[in-house]
Amino acid sequence: MTKWGMVIDLDKCTGCQACSTACQMENNRLPGENYQDVLYYTDRSQPTPKLVWFPRPCMHCEEPSCMHVCPTKATFKTEEGVVLVDWNKCIGCKYCMIACPYGVRFYTDEKPVIEPNVKDVFPGTGDLSWNPPYKGPQQDNAHGVGIQPHGVVSKCTFCYHKISKAPKGTSDLSNEDPALREYVPACVRTCAPTARYFGDLDNPNSEVSRLISDRDGARLLEHTGNKPQVYYLGRSAVVPGFKKS
Amino acid sequence: MDKPTMKVTRRRFLQASGTAAGAAGAAIGTGQLVGLKPIGEAQAQQASGQTVVNKSICGQCPARCGIDIYTTDGRVHAIYGSNDHPIANGKLCPKGHLGTYILYDPDRFKGPMKRTNPNKGRNEDPKFVPISWDEAFKTVADRLNALRDKGESHRFGLFFGRGWGASDVGVNIAPFGKLYGSPNAPIGHSSICSDGSVLAKQCTDGNASYSSYDYRNANYLLIFGANFLEAFRPYNNNMQVWGHIRRDKTPRTSVTYVDVHMNQTAAAADRALLVKPGTDGALALAIAHVILTEGLWERSFVGDFTDGQNRFKTGQTIEPDSFTEKWTNGLAQWWNTELKDRTPKWAEAITTIPADLIVKTAREFGTTRPAIALFERGAHNHSNGVLNGMAIHSLNALVGSLFAEGGLAYQMGPAYGPAPADPADYMDDYAKNGPHKKMPRIDLQGHEDGYLMAKNMIQEVGTNHLAGKPYKLDTALFYMTNPCFSTPKAKDWEEALKSMFVIATSPFPDETSMMADLILPDTTYIERWQDAPTYPFQGWPLAQLRTPAVKPLYDVKTFGDTLIGIGKLIKGPTGEYYKKVESVENILRHLAKGFEANPGDNGVKDFEGWKAKGCWYKKPYHWRQVRGEFFEWDGKGWNKPMSPDQVKAKLMPTASGKFEFVSSYMEKKKDWVLKATGRDPAKYNMPHWEPPKYTGSGDLHFITPKTAMHAEGRSANLPHAITLFQPANGGNKQSLAELHPSVAKAKGIKSGDRIKIKSDLGEIFAIAKVTELTRPDTLVLPFEHGHWAGGRWSKGRGSHVDEITPAQSDRISGMANYYTGKVSVEKA
Ligand code: SF4
Ligand code: SF4
Ligand code: SF4
Repeated sequence: MTKWGMVIDLDKCTGCQACSTACQMENNRLPGENYQDVLYYTDRSQPTPKLVWFPRPCMHCEEPSCMHVCPTKATFKTEEGVVLVDWNKCIGCKYCMIACPYGVRFYTDEKPVIEPNVKDVFPGTGDLSWNPPYKGPQQDNAHGVGIQPHGVVSKCTFCYHKISKAPKGTSDLSNEDPALREYVPACVRTCAPTARYFGDLDNPNSEVSRLISDRDGARLLEHTGNKPQVYYLGRSAVVPGFKKS
Repeated sequence: MDKPTMKVTRRRFLQASGTAAGAAGAAIGTGQLVGLKPIGEAQAQQASGQTVVNKSICGQCPARCGIDIYTTDGRVHAIYGSNDHPIANGKLCPKGHLGTYILYDPDRFKGPMKRTNPNKGRNEDPKFVPISWDEAFKTVADRLNALRDKGESHRFGLFFGRGWGASDVGVNIAPFGKLYGSPNAPIGHSSICSDGSVLAKQCTDGNASYSSYDYRNANYLLIFGANFLEAFRPYNNNMQVWGHIRRDKTPRTSVTYVDVHMNQTAAAADRALLVKPGTDGALALAIAHVILTEGLWERSFVGDFTDGQNRFKTGQTIEPDSFTEKWTNGLAQWWNTELKDRTPKWAEAITTIPADLIVKTAREFGTTRPAIALFERGAHNHSNGVLNGMAIHSLNALVGSLFAEGGLAYQMGPAYGPAPADPADYMDDYAKNGPHKKMPRIDLQGHEDGYLMAKNMIQEVGTNHLAGKPYKLDTALFYMTNPCFSTPKAKDWEEALKSMFVIATSPFPDETSMMADLILPDTTYIERWQDAPTYPFQGWPLAQLRTPAVKPLYDVKTFGDTLIGIGKLIKGPTGEYYKKVESVENILRHLAKGFEANPGDNGVKDFEGWKAKGCWYKKPYHWRQVRGEFFEWDGKGWNKPMSPDQVKAKLMPTASGKFEFVSSYMEKKKDWVLKATGRDPAKYNMPHWEPPKYTGSGDLHFITPKTAMHAEGRSANLPHAITLFQPANGGNKQSLAELHPSVAKAKGIKSGDRIKIKSDLGEIFAIAKVTELTRPDTLVLPFEHGHWAGGRWSKGRGSHVDEITPAQSDRISGMANYYTGKVSVEKA
């Protein structure tokens, strides 16, 4: 069985945030509420200061604490290891947002990060919380894909509407193979230095498995026991709170 | 602790500081400049049920990445990089994806309009009313015809921003001024862009151009103030290169980066040298000094002492005859008059970079081939800018990188066919001999009294117009430039616009439109036909094509067609010329005819193929220098040896046909240069150290860089971009002013405080970010934000840096010295 996972090489990542904007547009994110965010940290002092960064999507944990606390089972894990929210079942209680150690869940009806509120500029109709003019054609509430309805929690889906259409048994989804490009998560597809990889963690010969093995792939906050399916390579030691396993 | 404008994650994981509380002072509501039709119409395209992928070219920076635009039911909903485009390779930078938002920007102009309030000013409602395109064209043409009848056609100015190659605004704009008769049509914006590097190259290797670079094969990059991973063209491709050279390539390429604050490029490099602003030239001279004294120069390119003994000893001159140069000229003279004393210790005192680090950098650069030294605005936006640039570029000559694999070269143009009409056939007597022929340009470019060697001087136009020197403009047309916001001392331009008839063509409200008499809105890059020859990239020719993904959402016209529409109404042969030219699409069809004889590597040989693929290109670059010998491509390899005359004609068009440490180009203007700069006659035409002239009485260098989200000025109104500022200047509501903790402490300033920044020109307000990333003698605040006119998100957000940026330009290049100002800060 495929178990989708991501590898992010911090030695290659330039901190450009194209992953964030590609995701924003693909998944109709509100400004400043990014499924995928890049976090920046500074340390030390002039003339030798340090600046490091760190892209952070949902970890699609093997043991997702968000799912375990969900009272309605709205949050669930697919057979291929993707953690999703069924918007038809979500009651917006936000327990999952508290339970997630990685802070990657979003509630629809928060105060806007910036004014004027895009939700007022492009008002939604019916259930939908807004209606951006560049809205994509996909809307799949059962898998938390598309425009968020009011009153629910949402999160990164690993671009479920794309990867779920990939040919069965594909080991890696990469832009390099034009035949696969439409199935690649937006952030992975656009990453200019190719710092992001996406593939089958259960396939020992996939590129992601090789990278984790060769480059000592590490997971974030191992002590929580969530067992992320997102691995980091490279300058890991410098990321605050980032411990190698 | 609440920091309302800092870049923080809203989530509790690894939280940097508290939550957002209260929006920054963004203007809600849009003022007078919003278009006249409801947004709903933007979405009222008919349904087709199919997703169509359209090939086009991103328009948000000079990189010009090939894009695939996804449209379903008439709605554009995604943009990704084209896999088969050689710059994009399927990838994009963070701006590229936001292009959909540029298309659907709710504040776009919806059609042509004219001003009905004769008073102009920041607080004057222009009272625009809609007009037809016919009326718009007639209004402009009547004015221009009347001016020409009076013999005052020189008083028409056409100002444009983005441009590279002959026709990339969709129509070659140069013939308009030639046929109509104005030296001011067009005036480009290159002097507020990167003319400093153009002149530095012209003065040394004879090419008035930016360079093409073969980064992928370089083993060492020494970068001065060209923010490779945030703001240097071609951004997207630079990042692809980065992934390759830093991890995939063996051996891994080393990078040393020179800048005034720690940004992403500095952080990602192997070594960051945080230099005192304006002193990059001193650093480069010291590196050259070490390369020579330690014998690290490339002998096959530069030459050697006749007996092979290195006589470059600190402080000692050499016998000029003892050194035989090969592809360079003037090394002995340069060493004897300047370089012999430029030790790392000397440079430490000027640059604040420790001498041992300078030596290390020089040794690495001098021993790792191929190596590239590159630079941009950071190094040349100062009074000594061309000298800094010449010093840095000379490093390329010393290590033999010119035209080498893994080195740098210049860009070849595309194999275009002839345009539909030749302007030479449409010149009437007035065009040839009218009074405009005797008139200097309004910016005094090319004039003894102004900037004799500069390419353009757009930053001088407002001031000159106000003084009536050399005269006043009557009518000004603007395309992709907004000088009353973006030139130093922007207020002069703003004032000048009050006494000109102003024609604005931006699709979006901005400061120029606020002062405009006519608004002739352009299409966005998603909706238009336009060719875009590549900016210097890897040397081989590449011609790209924008094709409309959707019909224009509103009653707007591509600028090229606007110019043609006006041109058709100009009396005499000018009108005939533009009738023959017909339309942008017609021009493009003619250009594409050139591909028939020269099919591209991707099979493009006509207009239809060009449209389908979005680009035409033909590898390789035709010339290569290998260990001091030059070769030309013969169809199979770089096999044809080139004679010195051929090298001179094709590659290094200097007087000597070589790379000149002592510039013959500058020597030709010797008297003027000496008078204008007061430089030492013994050194004026070689790379030498001259302290930068800082302007203003403050204690902090005021540095106003471009950010990764800049988007040709558009990101200020993109809500998603506003929330994604980069870390160095980062806020998630507006740009922030970086201050060192020592400065902050002395002034009692904390992160998130509102501060006042003062120069001799006035004061602006900003939000402070106290950070160790910036030098203690420097304040960093990016340009672009702080619009006093604009869309609902951009207006009133952030700080307008050019209001207090002094008007000083490099006397040689005319490059605006954006980073020259000194300011003081206090808590507001
Ligand atoms: S797109 Fe790639 S390089 Fe850019 S921030 Fe994201 S992971 Fe890093
Ligand atoms: S990162 Fe958070 S939201 Fe994502 S699966 Fe893990 S616990 Fe759930
Ligand atoms: S903004 Fe520039 S680098 Fe970014 S995608 Fe567009 S053309 Fe490419």
